[in-house]
Amino acid sequence: MRRLLYEAQRALASPVRNPRMATVVGRLLGAAFLICFGTGLYSHFLQEPLDWMRFATRPEFLYQITQGTHIIAGIACFPLLLAKLYIVFPNLFAYPPVRGFLHLLERASIALFVGASLVQITIGLLNTYQWYPWPFPFRQVHFALGWVLIGLLVIHIGVKLPVIARHWNKPAEDDEHDDHLVDAVPAERAEHAEAVRLWGPTRPGGVTGRVLDYIDRAPRPASRVSRRGFLTTVGVATTAVVALTAGQTFTPLNAVNLFGPRKKGVGQQGVPVNRTSEQAGVADAATAADWTLTFAVAGTERAFTRAELLTLPQTTVTLPIACVEGWSQMARWRGVRLRDLADLLNADPETSFRLISLEERGSFSQTQMGREYVRDPLTLVALELNGETLDLEHGYPARMIAPGRPGVLQTKWLSRIEAIES
Amino acid sequence: MTADARRPRPEPAGAGTRNAGMTGLNPPPAGIAASTSRRMRSIRLLLVGCGVLLLAWGAVVMFDSVRPTRIPGVALWIAAAIVLHDAILAPIVFALGIALRRAGRRLTGTVIAIVQGGIIVGSIVSLIAVPTIVAKNFAPANPTVLPLNYALNLGLFWLVLAALTAALSVGAFFRARRPDAAIPDDTAR
Repeated sequence: MRRLLYEAQRALASPVRNPRMATVVGRLLGAAFLICFGTGLYSHFLQEPLDWMRFATRPEFLYQITQGTHIIAGIACFPLLLAKLYIVFPNLFAYPPVRGFLHLLERASIALFVGASLVQITIGLLNTYQWYPWPFPFRQVHFALGWVLIGLLVIHIGVKLPVIARHWNKPAEDDEHDDHLVDAVPAERAEHAEAVRLWGPTRPGGVTGRVLDYIDRAPRPASRVSRRGFLTTVGVATTAVVALTAGQTFTPLNAVNLFGPRKKGVGQQGVPVNRTSEQAGVADAATAADWTLTFAVAGTERAFTRAELLTLPQTTVTLPIACVEGWSQMARWRGVRLRDLADLLNADPETSFRLISLEERGSFSQTQMGREYVRDPLTLVALELNGETLDLEHGYPARMIAPGRPGVLQTKWLSRIEAIES
Repeated sequence: MTADARRPRPEPAGAGTRNAGMTGLNPPPAGIAASTSRRMRSIRLLLVGCGVLLLAWGAVVMFDSVRPTRIPGVALWIAAAIVLHDAILAPIVFALGIALRRAGRRLTGTVIAIVQGGIIVGSIVSLIAVPTIVAKNFAPANPTVLPLNYALNLGLFWLVLAALTAALSVGAFFRARRPDAAIPDDTAR
């Protein structure tokens, strides 16, 4: 067993698999994890705010930026995580496998870290395709794993801090040698001494020996070339996956959006759709002749037909629809300012509103809108989109559009708006 | 497997001490004991402590928001991810690396590195792109989800990548064969 583990480590040894490289790639991966966690928390609290929370409404494309970054950083994690795992892979065959209780905990935490990271980025990616081939709810698990991963990241940094500190800076040129990942001892010396220590100068026989000889006969590339080649490859791969998908939110890359799950301008009235009227089961109610939008403020109710809403002062705003799945689409909206409607009904400027859709099921059929959005001059009850009557798939007869909020909170097929009196 | 670890062995000249070998393969316990200074030790303790709290909070959130019957599914996926990477993906990558190094034994390291890089970049982009092709087959929720021809795009991507890799490799190959270009650093001064 010991011999096998040792031979595995030796066969896997590579100039790329050293602690400096682990630190370099680990820093980038750690930064990507932190970005994902921060933007993820922001998105989470926008959707489920605590009572005291207030959010910035400017820049009006704020959520487009934060959530676009969330998805871009998540996609960048694929090459970075695989590179990091490639670098540290020989550690899997450490001997003895467990050196004590602390070491057991460390290895367990690393196993969980690796597994949970792979699951997190995979389900995140597949969620952007609206594909859910797993036996658990996405939103809740993705959120909980976010905390788990950030905890494991902080533990990992704590455990590896001496190694990270030692290899944070580039080694001086003459200091560069072929370090093993496992420690800063020249690889060949360590190998030789350990081999001799374990079983003398002869190699194991049989099939194992032949396989090992075969591996040994493969020429080893020069350290410098393989290190540079590795870093370049990681850089190019990361650039490629980002550049070829980010066009779904970042307009300058729209032309090379080869693999993004959404495409700018593709959809009714040039805007992609997330939830259709059919999925929401609202087609009949939304097109009914007796549709009204009811306001319930301070104990009184008032219903507006679409025609009545169109007679009120109309405002045109340019705001993006920015989805939790990372895509966004700028669009021109026209409708009635929510603030004007609230004033018309003498609502207290300090109240938040509850937005209720015709949709009866679905997690976002009822959402809350904090007063900072209610009072914002860009927040509309939208009736038109890009110069046309709002399409049914975009929320006809009326939908909400507000600056800096995720698409799921831009309630479509509005039915009722209530002031939440405190 | 029958080797006796304790028996002293003669060491080759310049092989360093046996301890160096030990450290080379078995670093000291990466736990708190390995701290080099008191400050380092306290920072590490703080980090590990905070990390454990965050991890525990993650577990609370998980058990609070996900029905208990669904949690084994999460555990299964995490375990499967480890197996998929450690037992399948990594060995395949290792075997391919060996095969490529042997196949290219007459070539310079740079050419091998470029070809290797091309294959890796293509594989990672495919990793992102193939699920779109699969998911598109399951009739996406509406026509604006996955609207592109991803299979065609992936094919085009591989063509461009192959052309670039070939061009770079040929360039590197001929540069390495030019006798005067081989050792510019040594002759420069």
